[in-house]
Amino acid sequence: MSPEPPSRTEQLVLLLTQNQEPLFRYIFSLVSSEADARDILQETSLALYRKFDQYETSRPFLPWAYRFAYLQIQKHRAKFARSPLLFSEDLIHLLALEREQMEPELDLRLQFLDECLGKLTPHDKELVASRYALRESAEEMMQRFAMSRRTLFRNLGLLRQRLHDCITRQIQSEALT
Amino acid sequence: MNLKSLIEAKLDGEITPEQNAKLEAILVGDGNARRLYLELADQHARLLQRSDSPSERPQRSHSYLRTIRWRTSAFIASAAAIVLLAFAVWSHKPIASEATSYGAAMLSQTLDAEFTETTLRSGDTIAPGTLTLNKGVVQIEFFSGATALIEGATQIEIISAWEARCIKGRVRVHVPPAAKGFLMHAPDVKLEDLGTEFAMNVVGQDSAVHVFDGEVIAHAKNKAPASLKAGMSLSSSKAVVTPEDFLPISELQSLIKKREKLHSEQWQHWSMEARKDNRLIAYYPFKHWDDDGWDRMVNNLAQPVVLSRNGGAVGARWTQGRWPGKEALEFKRPGDRVRMNLDGTYAALTFACWVKVDSVDKKYNSLLLTDGYESGEPHWQIYEDGSLLFSIGYAGPGEKRITATTNQMYYSKPVFGPDSLGRWHHLAVTYDNASGTVVQYFDGQEVGREVSPLHQPGRPIGFGPCELGNWGLPTQGHQFPIRTLNGAIDEFAIYQIALSSAEIQAMFEQGKP
Repeated sequence: MSPEPPSRTEQLVLLLTQNQEPLFRYIFSLVSSEADARDILQETSLALYRKFDQYETSRPFLPWAYRFAYLQIQKHRAKFARSPLLFSEDLIHLLALEREQMEPELDLRLQFLDECLGKLTPHDKELVASRYALRESAEEMMQRFAMSRRTLFRNLGLLRQRLHDCITRQIQSEALT
Repeated sequence: MNLKSLIEAKLDGEITPEQNAKLEAILVGDGNARRLYLELADQHARLLQRSDSPSERPQRSHSYLRTIRWRTSAFIASAAAIVLLAFAVWSHKPIASEATSYGAAMLSQTLDAEFTETTLRSGDTIAPGTLTLNKGVVQIEFFSGATALIEGATQIEIISAWEARCIKGRVRVHVPPAAKGFLMHAPDVKLEDLGTEFAMNVVGQDSAVHVFDGEVIAHAKNKAPASLKAGMSLSSSKAVVTPEDFLPISELQSLIKKREKLHSEQWQHWSMEARKDNRLIAYYPFKHWDDDGWDRMVNNLAQPVVLSRNGGAVGARWTQGRWPGKEALEFKRPGDRVRMNLDGTYAALTFACWVKVDSVDKKYNSLLLTDGYESGEPHWQIYEDGSLLFSIGYAGPGEKRITATTNQMYYSKPVFGPDSLGRWHHLAVTYDNASGTVVQYFDGQEVGREVSPLHQPGRPIGFGPCELGNWGLPTQGHQFPIRTLNGAIDEFAIYQIALSSAEIQAMFEQGKP
């Protein structure tokens, strides 16, 4: 590991802190597993640290970081190649390309997320809180909401689709005004 | 399974290998499907990342650090550890501090209400929890927009702005379109309101429901959800519901008006007697005179009337006081004030007033201050921390002015905060130059009692030009600090003796809204 002047490390720390969230979203979209995405995010941050001397501060950080993340995803995929739950390399490649093109649109959608969360029914809000804020396990949630595993995940899925529909509507109505 | 279900299963990690193969096949062949997948995945990833969502409840102490597997830690050199540490710190980043309230609803109207848990008053914010109304009627407005009218004896649990539980007793609920989806639980049924008005009566483990207007979905245990429309009732052998038993909101309003009228009359009667008290220096009931073309008269009505002690409003505008029909002056702008000139020297004093403070937004917020701050002149203010500050000073020998070492300052405990702002309160302070004791009162209760170490018996108290709600006539070219009260005053009495705590308590009781 090459020694870095402290200011350079500080710079990276700052950039990583600022961009951790979009970086996580990028990785998650391609691996669709939270635990894997967190591991890959850590490995990516290490890789970025090692190669940070190659980074030109005049360039946007995220696209640069995405390249490292993509490499880490490929490594991760190679390691677990036999898992039947992974997308193929070709699909991941396609998704990564399209996602970068769609990024402004995805960012715009997230701006309406809060508003749409506010419109959920009390029951759905409780589901969101329990799944995302309290990070309850499926078992805890099954018990709390007295639901079977199947119903629980079906409800969560429907809830997210309502959010998705709501955001789409908001963007359309915004476009009209 | 359709595409959406497949994507959701994938995101939740609930997908089977077969389903994963199916999803992969769809995504590879369909750009729109990939777009949908990317949107849903991004939304899910954002939800996983956010810990400070406004619509979520307070987070448990563990954050996602717990779920991070520190597999790579063996390889981490110290500098890189700093980078990772930054991540850890980030994920714990506290939400920027901002005043918070834990409320779900507010008590908008009360009529002779008596609660078991607390001494709630109208205007109070209600945090989630159980509320037991022993007698009276109250109107609760949930932050979602739903309104509940409850009559004693009723016990209700406020779960959130969107959800409540009637444990026993009678509740009438109105749900405007904005609060559609409001849930009302009862021992054997759950009511989902679709924008409507309904009443509920809970006796023991039984409940009865009547819908006045709109539609309610009743989810009873072991039964299919039933739709109840206007005029329909659902009752059991033990719990019945008779629509006429439930107080309509219009009736509560008229009852409240009646009570206000009663209070107003009671205060009026007290005020007519109180102004005859020959211990008064001045008494300003803030009566707005219809024939006052200038609209600026704040007359002293202490008897016998000393006209020179009449006050004059500057800037301050007339507004409603404690009750409809009772006037008050509102102080908002830096110039707003009531000017007075009080002659004479005294051995003691009492200030008593009804004030509605909207915000304590300056370092010093004026109640009554003399123009300058000369020897023996009292100042009465609200300090920035919400406490009452009474001060009086006497310049030291050979000195012209009161200095920090000769200023006697008396702070009460803080009385103004989010719960007391924006409503009418009775404030009083007494001081006598023999004992030097300063006693301060808030709503009839003592909130401060102190003798200054600087006190020397027998020094006179005087006023001269002074004002309510502000401080100081700027002398030419001299800048005065802004001390305007942000609020309204609707009664102010100045006595030349220190009233007893019983007298202050009685004033509060007679005048409370």
